[in-house]
Amino acid sequence: MAAGLLAAACVAWSASPLAGGGSGTRPALIVGISCAAAAVFRLAAGDWVPPADVFENLVVRTGRLLLEALRAGPWAEGTVIAALALEALHHSRPWHTGLLAVALTAFLFAVHLAESGARPAVLRPQLPVLTAGFGLLVLCCGAALLPAAGTGAASGWLRAFAAVAAVAAGALALPV
Amino acid sequence: MVTPGHPQPVRLSWGPSGHAKRLLTLALAGLAIAVLARRAEFAAAAAPAVLLLATWRRDRPRSVLVSATLTARRMVEGEYAAVQVTVSGHGALAVELRIDPASAITPVARGTAGPVGSDDGGPDDGGPNHGGRSGVPFLATHWGSREVGVLEIILRDRWRLSEGRAAVPLPRIDCYPLPAHQRTRVVLSRLPSRLGEHAARVPGEGTEFAGVREFVPGDRQRRINWPATTRRGSLQLNTFAAERVQNVVVLADATADVGSPGSTTSDLVHRGAAGMVRSYLAARDRVGFIGYRNQISWISPGTGQRQFHRIMDAMLAEPGNWDARSGIRRLPRAALPSGALIIVFSPLLDSRLVETLRDLRERGFTLLIIDVLNAAPGGGKDRISDLARRIWRMEQDAIRFSLRELGIPVVYWDGEQSLDEPLAPYTRRVMVSRR
Repeated sequence: MAAGLLAAACVAWSASPLAGGGSGTRPALIVGISCAAAAVFRLAAGDWVPPADVFENLVVRTGRLLLEALRAGPWAEGTVIAALALEALHHSRPWHTGLLAVALTAFLFAVHLAESGARPAVLRPQLPVLTAGFGLLVLCCGAALLPAAGTGAASGWLRAFAAVAAVAAGALALPV
Repeated sequence: MVTPGHPQPVRLSWGPSGHAKRLLTLALAGLAIAVLARRAEFAAAAAPAVLLLATWRRDRPRSVLVSATLTARRMVEGEYAAVQVTVSGHGALAVELRIDPASAITPVARGTAGPVGSDDGGPDDGGPNHGGRSGVPFLATHWGSREVGVLEIILRDRWRLSEGRAAVPLPRIDCYPLPAHQRTRVVLSRLPSRLGEHAARVPGEGTEFAGVREFVPGDRQRRINWPATTRRGSLQLNTFAAERVQNVVVLADATADVGSPGSTTSDLVHRGAAGMVRSYLAARDRVGFIGYRNQISWISPGTGQRQFHRIMDAMLAEPGNWDARSGIRRLPRAALPSGALIIVFSPLLDSRLVETLRDLRERGFTLLIIDVLNAAPGGGKDRISDLARRIWRMEQDAIRFSLRELGIPVVYWDGEQSLDEPLAPYTRRVMVSRR
C-alpha cells in the first residue's frame, strides 16, 4: 500500500507540470507509470503461486507466464530511473528535486519492507546514516539554490562536481 | 540433504540484496544525471543512497551449521506440519527461513509458527522465522508420498545490503488420504469362528442376550434365569450370542483417475478406502487391502494400528502406469480369506475389474461395491456428442445392473457425504452372505 502510494507520488511529482517538460517527457512518463504499476503488482502478488493443474487452459497458462515475467523484471529500479529522467527533463527547482529524492528513497525502503515481509523496526540501525544522507541532501540542494559564481557551462560543471565530491566525501567519512 | 537432528555445515552464496541493487540504481542514476545535466541537486538526490551503500562490509560467514527435522513424517492430507530448523554460526546476522514447496505442499503464512529462539544471540528483527531454532510450517494439500521441497536459508546483514543464501533439500513425507467419515458398519450374517466383537447368530459366550433354554447338567448356575424358571416350573438358562470377528477386504481400484483435480475418482477411492479401513479396525475386525492398478498389491487381513499404517503405506506405493495389456482377471486367493466381506471402491470404468468382481461372486464371496464415478465424458454440444454420451451412460447403467443381478449391491458415494448414508440399507441389519 505504502509502496504503491509512494510510487504514484514520485511519478506524479517528477512529471509535474505536465506541459513543462522537454522532448522525451511523454515516453519517460509512460515508462515511469508502467514500471510503477508493475512494481506494485509484483508486491501485491507476493509469493502467490497459482494452483498447478495438468489441464489448465490457455488463459491460465498465459497468466502464469505473465506472473513470472512480473517477478523477473527490475520494476522498482525502472521507476527510479524514469522519475529522475522526468525530473531532469522538467528543469525543476532544486527543492523540487530534493523532495523527489526523499520520496524515491522512501519508496525503495517501502519496497524492501514489503518484499522481505519485515517490520519497519529492521531499519533502526540505518536511521543515523539515513539522517546524515538527508542532511547532505539538504546541503547540496541549498548549495544549488545559491546564485552561480560565473556564467557559462563551466560554472554548471563545477557545481555538479562539487556536489558529487561532497557526497563522496560524506560517504568516505562515515564512521561505520 | 541435511540429516535430521545432526547439524551439518551448509555453504552460503553471498551477493548484494535486492535492496542494495535498488539503492545503487538510485545513486548511479542521480550522480550520472548530475554530471550530464550539470545540476548539483541530482547529486543531492543520490546522497542518502550513497551513504547507505558506504556501510557495506565484507566480514560474513562462508557457511553455517544447519539441522532440519520434520515434526511429522506421516500426516493426513489437510494437516499442518513444520520443519524444525536450527541454524548456528551466523553471528549477528538475521536469518530468514522459507520453504520452496514441492507439488501439493503449501507453506503457511508466518505467524502460525514463530521463532523459537536463537542459540547464539542473533537479532530478532521481526522478519519471518528469524533466529537460531525456528519452526517453518507447511500444509500438505493432497495425499501421496511426496517431497516437501527445499528449505531456503537467507542471512542478512544489519544494513540489509548483502544476502547469503543456501538451499537445503528436505526429506519426503507420507501424506495419507483423508479418511471418509463412517460410523456404522456392514456386518455379514455368517462370521468365521474367531473371537471378535460382532454378535453372531449362533449361541456362545458373548454378552448379548440371545434367549432362554432348559438347564442341562454342566451348565453354569450363575446363568439361570430365575423369573423364567418360576413361570415354567423347571430350571431355565439364559443363552448369549457368540461374538465373532469379521474378515473385511477393501479393494481400491486405482486404474482410472478422472474428475476434477482434488476430487478425482482415484482420490475418492483412496479416501473412502481409508475411512472404511479405519472404521473396521476400530471395531477390532480383521481388515485386508487389495490395491488394483497396473499390478495387484495386497495385504492379508490383520488388526490394530500397525495394520492401518501398513495399508496406508500400500496405498501410497507408486501406482505406476496402467498397462492395458496386463491380463489381470482373478484376484489372488491369499488376499481373500474364506467368508470375507469384500468392499470395492471403484468407478467401474475398467471392464477387467468388472469381470474380476463377477468371478469373485461366482466363487461365493460377498461383495459390496461403492461406486465413485463422479465425471462424465466432455466434448461438444452437438447431436453426435450428445448421443455418444447417452450411449456411454447406458453402458455404465448396464454394467451396474448386471452386477446387481448377480447379487452384488452397488451404492453411489459422492466423496462429500459420510459413508454411512449410501451404506444405510446394509448397516441397519446383517447382510446375508449367500453361497
